[in-house]
Amino acid sequence: MQENEKKLLRRELLNRIGLGAATAAVAVTLPAGAGAAVARDPVHYAMVIDTRRCIGCQACSVACKAEFAVPLGATRSWVEYVEKGTFPHVSRQFLPRLCNHCRNPQCVNVCPTGATFKRAEDGIVVVDPEVCIGCKYCIQACPYDARFIHPDTGAADKCDFCLHRVGRGLVPACVNTCQGRARIFGDMNDPASAVAQLIATQPVTVLRQGMGTRPSVFYIAADHSDPRETRVPSQYVRVDTHRRIQERR
Amino acid sequence: MLELHWGMPVILYLFLAGLGAGALTVSGSVLLRGGGGWFAGQHFRIARHGALIAPLPLIVGTGLLILELGTFQAGVEQVDIAKLFRWINLFKIVNLSPMNIGSWVLGLCILFSLAYAWTFLAPTACAQDDRCRVRRAMAWIGIPLGVAVAVYTGILLGAMPARPFWNSQILGMLFLFSALSTGVAGILCLHAFLRHEENDRPGEQAGYILAVSDALLIALELLIIILFIMFAHLTIGDPAHAIAVILPGGELVWWFWIGVVLFGMVVPALVELRHTLPKLLHHRPYRVLRSVEIAIGLLVLAGGFLLRYVIVVAGQITGPVGM
Repeated sequence: MQENEKKLLRRELLNRIGLGAATAAVAVTLPAGAGAAVARDPVHYAMVIDTRRCIGCQACSVACKAEFAVPLGATRSWVEYVEKGTFPHVSRQFLPRLCNHCRNPQCVNVCPTGATFKRAEDGIVVVDPEVCIGCKYCIQACPYDARFIHPDTGAADKCDFCLHRVGRGLVPACVNTCQGRARIFGDMNDPASAVAQLIATQPVTVLRQGMGTRPSVFYIAADHSDPRETRVPSQYVRVDTHRRIQERR
Repeated sequence: MLELHWGMPVILYLFLAGLGAGALTVSGSVLLRGGGGWFAGQHFRIARHGALIAPLPLIVGTGLLILELGTFQAGVEQVDIAKLFRWINLFKIVNLSPMNIGSWVLGLCILFSLAYAWTFLAPTACAQDDRCRVRRAMAWIGIPLGVAVAVYTGILLGAMPARPFWNSQILGMLFLFSALSTGVAGILCLHAFLRHEENDRPGEQAGYILAVSDALLIALELLIIILFIMFAHLTIGDPAHAIAVILPGGELVWWFWIGVVLFGMVVPALVELRHTLPKLLHHRPYRVLRSVEIAIGLLVLAGGFLLRYVIVVAGQITGPVGM
């Protein structure tokens, strides 16, 4: 664990050095104003999920449960199985899910107490359980069904990108445990980060783009099939959510 | 089956808040229209009934809303006073959340409806008593407050693209007219219950005014329902998929068309027209049995409740199509 932490800290240091060098290089080649703008870009954490590398093992779901002692029946992170087709032309894809930490979060817009907010310093959407009244408005408003009421606090709860780990230079628990390294986490405003490079070079997609939420969770080769929207009439499509609520919302 | 995060307390709240806000608005409107002038007697009685009805459903509905809060439920289970009163956080901030704006408006409306009812409370209250100036001044504020409470509930539900059934610009208007209609129905029930004769005294028009108003409000409500369905059904994607839940083959089709539209709107409106048209067209005396008046009022109230039930449930068992 400590070794991992050291490696991560070293990587973070290298990233920063890299960012510094990149900023310096940009400052040399670009006008002063533009260079300053690059330097001031705040951290914006994001996740890229390469579904080609996901084996549907649910280790991320379990790690998340263990990290936060998520109560039975609730999930901060989960993996959906998407099955479709008719034998022999069939496929089974895995779709890891979590809060999308949107740039335009509906949950924040509707929160009547300001308990849910997007942190200006890193873009993570968080809930303050001491302020939240548990009105469930955010649960209704989230297009990704990422929220639930925590039975202990009575307040809304959801993934917070493992804020307590990220703050110490570690990656979120789901990323740390992922066997296939399908989850990649980092600062998407840092051009040297793996997420920024993947977003720049890969054909990434987001979930429910039409909602206008601008998610910070990106997918590579995700199967967006939904039983309610089969592209071929009468095609078999089934989604196993592995949640208490079996159906996607 | 999808989870209903908002259940019966919220459905009852939407209905009761609409009833209270509607009664307050109707009371204020009728008072300003003629409560102190030539029609003083009958208009004043309608305004008085409306003013006395308004606070109770508003307070009970708001109380039910608190029961639905996660922190309140956790507070009851854990006997934690801080969690029981966590809802006070709503009033520690002003932001653009429809629920925050609505809470402030609702809080003001409750306080105001109590003060307004107080001006009518004395058994000797009449159109020209010593509280008449205060009463009329308060009616000017009560009308917009009542309208705001009725409309905000529709905006609250309609503000979410993730809930395509609710995400309609016309939902606020539907809730407004339903609130006014149920407000009139509540006043009609109280009026019928309190009147001593089988029919109103000669020249008394309170029952007639209420029945005509209710028929008109129901007609407008039906028009908005048609627009609400057309906006969704005649498009593609999420709204069309969501509205299918109240169209033939949908899970709530019978609740909506038989419960809300037929028994909650069409039947009472037809009965009201049957009794009011002779007076409206031929100036014949308005005659109606007390039991019929009460039945009409109860049907409209039941329809108003079922409308909230169908809309709250339909919004939660449908969602965006595709991932």
